[in-house]
Amino acid sequence: MARYNILVTGVGGQGLLTLGRVVGNAAILAGIDATIAETHGLSQRGGSLIVQIRLGDGESPLIPRGAADLIIGMEVLETARRIIYANPNTRVTMNKFLWPPPLADYPDLEQVVGKMKETGVKLYMIDANRISEDVVGSVISANMVMLGFAYAVDKGLKKLFDKKHFLQAIERVFRGKAVELNKKAFEAGYEEGLKQT
Amino acid sequence: MGNEAIARGALEAGICFAAAYPGTPSTEIMEALASVAKEAGIYVEWSTNEKVAFEAAYAAAMSYVKSLTTMKHVGVNVAADILMSSAYAGVNAGFVIVSADDPGQHSSQNEQDNRWYGMHAHIPVVEPSSPRDAYKLTKAAYVLSEKYKHPVLFRSTTRISHTRQPVTFEQDIPGEKKRKGRFDRDIERWVLVPAHGRKQKRRMMEVWRKIAEEEGVEPFIKIINPGMKKAIIAGGIAYSHVIEALELLGKKDEYTVVKVSLPVPLPYKPILRALKEAQEVLVVEELDPVLEMQIKKIAYDNGVSTKIRGKDVVPINGELDLDSVARSILSFEGREPIMPWKPLEPLKLEPPIPARPPVMCAGCPHRNTYYIVKTAANKAGLKDPIFTGDIGCYTLGYEPPFHTQMTSLEMGGSIGVAHGLSKVVDEPVIAVIGDSTFYHAGLPPSINIVYNKGHAVILVLDNQYTAMTGHQPHPGTGLTAMGEPAVRVPIEKLLETIGYKTYVINPMNVKESINIVAEALKKYKEGEQVAIVSRMKCALQAVRKARKEGIRLPVYHIVEDKCTGCMVCVKLLACPAIVVPKGAKKPKILTELCVGCGLCAQVCPFNAIEIFKEGSPDWLEAWK
Repeated sequence: MARYNILVTGVGGQGLLTLGRVVGNAAILAGIDATIAETHGLSQRGGSLIVQIRLGDGESPLIPRGAADLIIGMEVLETARRIIYANPNTRVTMNKFLWPPPLADYPDLEQVVGKMKETGVKLYMIDANRISEDVVGSVISANMVMLGFAYAVDKGLKKLFDKKHFLQAIERVFRGKAVELNKKAFEAGYEEGLKQT
Repeated sequence: MGNEAIARGALEAGICFAAAYPGTPSTEIMEALASVAKEAGIYVEWSTNEKVAFEAAYAAAMSYVKSLTTMKHVGVNVAADILMSSAYAGVNAGFVIVSADDPGQHSSQNEQDNRWYGMHAHIPVVEPSSPRDAYKLTKAAYVLSEKYKHPVLFRSTTRISHTRQPVTFEQDIPGEKKRKGRFDRDIERWVLVPAHGRKQKRRMMEVWRKIAEEEGVEPFIKIINPGMKKAIIAGGIAYSHVIEALELLGKKDEYTVVKVSLPVPLPYKPILRALKEAQEVLVVEELDPVLEMQIKKIAYDNGVSTKIRGKDVVPINGELDLDSVARSILSFEGREPIMPWKPLEPLKLEPPIPARPPVMCAGCPHRNTYYIVKTAANKAGLKDPIFTGDIGCYTLGYEPPFHTQMTSLEMGGSIGVAHGLSKVVDEPVIAVIGDSTFYHAGLPPSINIVYNKGHAVILVLDNQYTAMTGHQPHPGTGLTAMGEPAVRVPIEKLLETIGYKTYVINPMNVKESINIVAEALKKYKEGEQVAIVSRMKCALQAVRKARKEGIRLPVYHIVEDKCTGCMVCVKLLACPAIVVPKGAKKPKILTELCVGCGLCAQVCPFNAIEIFKEGSPDWLEAWK
């Protein structure tokens, strides 16, 4: 069976590694083998960041360009940058948050979305930062909003996981108050996703 | 995570002593051990550098206590002296050195292949193909080390160390610990004067010969699907790519695959068998042709004329992946590299997507210090100083608008290079070095400047942690790796003792700091030896403390009526929390990212940046 490839992209500090850990724990709970390639150290400091999740039997941890089944984009420019990992059948879920790097000129949201749609990918957007602020009081859980959203719109994820796998995974990854807040964020993203399917 | 798997493997192997200096991608091994040290009854320390860590862990293994030292690939350069000697003298208990290499240079100044160190030092190298494999092979490495009473180099890479994978534990961690050993006063063994060294070398070469002769068995060499006409010999992560690529290309049954987990010294028996059975052999390995050279030698020595290919079809630069390995296999077969996946072209956008290199975080004290030192240099009339640099988050000062890092070569290099420059160029020289880097390798060159009458300012950026690798404590933090209180070794006192007139600033107080630094730089111009210590806690730690203790940090905003759109804050500070919205003439603070350091408010010429949300009365506590 071909492995299921999820590329998580965004800016260092947006909670990409945590998102990867939640998916990893969900995979253990669902009995699916997985590799999750992270980025640490200097590249974590506010730079472009990707986490590569590969589900199913196999140990090669890097996703070939064009082989992503699902992209979870925490930021607009970074999602656009990593579109080379997609093919026309890829589902792209994107946080409607454009965070320009300091001192740089950049294309606006409308242009990026327009060009992305021209490629034929299935694009789903959500304002995960705002939903996170509404639900937990800060942008800190935007990653879980995005994960809930992706789970709602992506058939591949639905086939592999039950919702409870993610909720239990959140219990394993977070501690204290953060458990309930992140579950709420996941649910809020999931609800928004259902509206778009 | 692969690093956690290595830590678990070492615990199951029964280690009682571990020492390291942090470095990506190795850091989490020791972090994992430190977090369970008390519970597991083992000793763990963050040492001041890799050489010191190696010496400590080696001393334990000399004294019958199983031990571990871990470092990033370039850390082995720092420890190379003792590495060589350890191979001559050997060990009395299992001793493993983990070298976490960084193919693709995700977080390093080079991508050196440390399997060469094994060859160079006569230390066997064990190399895993996945995190799961790393767990098992760590234990095998200890068995090997104990069997031959010899150090073993365990080579991981970024994609092993920083990949997560479910790992099923095979056994419990042994309850009985051997934390205390004994020192044999074996002068001939430990004192490597030439006469003793010559004897020890004969022992070492005999170990070397035996390993190559006898260890060509599982788990070090594994043969999959033997007897095929085509064979692939692969080591490390390349093996995982090969297995999946063959599956994907539908060629699994056409190839014999030899998995090499002991690349140095390569056990020749199973390799020779594979060479004789196959008509064509492809060697797939990341970076240098370490296996390929040994395999070609084995073929030549034994008169085998099987066609052996390697780096002529497999990339030598950067990381391998499924795609590049599948292409290499097709190219080896003389076929067009047509891939099953059809990637989209990059989006054509105008302006194009800007690069996003890592940046200093919002509230990063280095931003304050760099602004202060550049402003103070102007004030002191210090024209065009050369800023030599070092290894840490502050290396990001090479970027605009700061340009306060003009070299960054190796740990501690800022000061040594500054000394040399001060002898051969006329411009003023400022050596910028972080706190942890100063403790690591900053002292000898600081002494050298004073002793040999060089003339450079030493600027130590003290954020109280080894921040870049994830805030490990160091001798200035006041904590040990195991969370116990420790003495602080004050950097300013060290510098004063060496002979520098030393100034300490808190860069959160921008104006006061500019005055102090300007005064220091004037003294430097007059010929004095001057050092500056800029002390302010890493912003990530301040934010963490605030969150934990319920402290509210202030948040700033830009008052539109007062802002003239001069862009001073944007252009001088490059703070990720200050953005210019598309088409806007005035900048805006992303309040969710602002951590309230207040630098922009102190820099704004029109006082247009004000507090938007007050912090709690004790907010400064978070920064202490």
